[in-house]
Amino acid sequence: MIEIKNLTIELGEFFLKDINLSIGDGEYFVILGPTGAGKTVLIECIAGLHRVKQGEIWLGQNEVTHLASEERNLGYVPQDYVLFPFLNVVDNIAFGLRQAKYNRTEIQERVNKLAGLMGISQLLHRDIRSLSGGEKQRVALARALAPSPGILLLDEPLSALDLQTARYLRLELGRVHRELGLTTIHITHDLMEAVDMADRVAVIQNGHVEQVAEPERMLFYPGSERVSDFIGTPNILDCDYCHSLGQGVMEVGCGSLKLIVPHEGISVHKVAILPRHIYVSETRPPGRGVNGFQGTITEIKYARNAVRIALEVGENNLIAEIPYHIFEEMDLNVGKEVFLILRMRRIRVYESNN
Amino acid sequence: MFKILRGAGGERVFRWATISALVVLALFFIGIVVSMMAYTRWDTFVSALFSEEILFAIRLSVTTATVAAVISILIAVPVAYAISRASFPGKDIVDSLLDLPIVISPVALGAALLVFFNTPLGASIDDNVIKFVFSVPGIILAQVTVISALAIRLLKSTFDSIDPRYEQVARTLGCSKPEAFFRVTLPLAKNGLIASGILTWARAVGEFGATVTLAGATAMKTETLPTAIFLSLASADVEKAIAVIFVLVIIAVVALLSIRKITGRRYQI
Repeated sequence: MIEIKNLTIELGEFFLKDINLSIGDGEYFVILGPTGAGKTVLIECIAGLHRVKQGEIWLGQNEVTHLASEERNLGYVPQDYVLFPFLNVVDNIAFGLRQAKYNRTEIQERVNKLAGLMGISQLLHRDIRSLSGGEKQRVALARALAPSPGILLLDEPLSALDLQTARYLRLELGRVHRELGLTTIHITHDLMEAVDMADRVAVIQNGHVEQVAEPERMLFYPGSERVSDFIGTPNILDCDYCHSLGQGVMEVGCGSLKLIVPHEGISVHKVAILPRHIYVSETRPPGRGVNGFQGTITEIKYARNAVRIALEVGENNLIAEIPYHIFEEMDLNVGKEVFLILRMRRIRVYESNN
Repeated sequence: MFKILRGAGGERVFRWATISALVVLALFFIGIVVSMMAYTRWDTFVSALFSEEILFAIRLSVTTATVAAVISILIAVPVAYAISRASFPGKDIVDSLLDLPIVISPVALGAALLVFFNTPLGASIDDNVIKFVFSVPGIILAQVTVISALAIRLLKSTFDSIDPRYEQVARTLGCSKPEAFFRVTLPLAKNGLIASGILTWARAVGEFGATVTLAGATAMKTETLPTAIFLSLASADVEKAIAVIFVLVIIAVVALLSIRKITGRRYQI
């Protein structure tokens, strides 16, 4: 159990104001917010890297607000890993174990076990500088986990990686969390990362916690206008019928739209897709056109860095979002016929009524 | 005027101008060395080099400079770390004051030390603790006074280049502050430490102004290599002076090359 009570801190341009959070044992808790929102400061406060003058931090039964990092028993993976360049992979992982005065065989066993868990057994004697981003991330994670910490803090663990590696590591993080059951706080600015991984999400903006909720709840019932502005209100469609096409794919009918969605279950009640995951094009896109439709623009609205386009597709109304610089290169106006694609992998499926 | 130098022509002129400056300077130094070699003969050079006096000067210089460099580095590590990491009001002023010994003439520093040992406190230290004035410990003290500022400057830039987050991560892994310093920051500073050690050592070997003022220039007693040059010229023994100059040049070249070898690059002062 991690509890943060009335935490207020100011560090140059970053600040946190009256933060209250309570994170349960074994929970995978994601802190979501735009760059500069104060996410890193928050996790660093929990890690004991800043002197906190206002508010309290509790880990379990102990107040740790004024304890040094080494007295908090936590694992911390900073954004760019900060591996020790003068040590090889083994010695990086064993760093905390040596500090805790484990004997040699214990260290060796623990390092091998963690290397196995993280899938880096073949890298153990490599120089840190020769590792790829994904490998470094795994080593940093193994190093943080080695001294058996009570909680794990991950600062943007996937943001420096290429898409493919990030997607793979996202699954790995989930697996490690399930295997170890370790209370984890994960920071990200990526909404889909938060939705995919979190038991609960805290949306933080301008040093303020705007909402704490389960990911789906946050998506469908944003706690404030600022949250809905940041995540973008999703398109939610009620489904009339569905049938499985096999191989984990289903066809669902929502109004006049026939959608192909990734789903292993029996039935689909609702589907949701974020505006940014609907592609709009002036010409017919090439290929088989899974989830491709034609619609008419009914409204164009300018948001912060993007343009929201309301579309009428048969009897359904959808909102698409296009980055401003792409919108500028297109010739879109109200009443125009356009082509759109709902990205299949980005459609989220809900079985029940809730 | 700069308008004429636009375009490719201007680029050529500029490149030639900068390279000629380099050539002129290189010729100047080569000229000095060649003239020294022309002045001396091999056999007189060798006999001067292996004279008892010069061998004594080499031994004395190497020992005093080594002791002075070790003392300076031991002082400079905590001082440089404090200036690099701590933030306190007036830090800029303290930082600048520590640079003073680099820019002030070493003779002035030596004179200041000599004056200090003439005060009641200084005199009692000199009489009862260690004798500094006109003695070998005076050489070491003079060298330490001159080179410790250099050591601090070099080590500060080393510590500045080490991300404090290494220590922060070490602390989340269970290290106390001193443990994090010794287990993470010092190993990260290893190259900088070695390079500063060599550079301050080489500077101590060459130190003359402060040494001669505090420790005097007594042959076979407080005669370091630079003092030996001074004494040889004073007695018009140019051959001997040249022999010592070459010894100093060789020491300097070896020091700079080993720094480059160790750190993989030229050391930035």
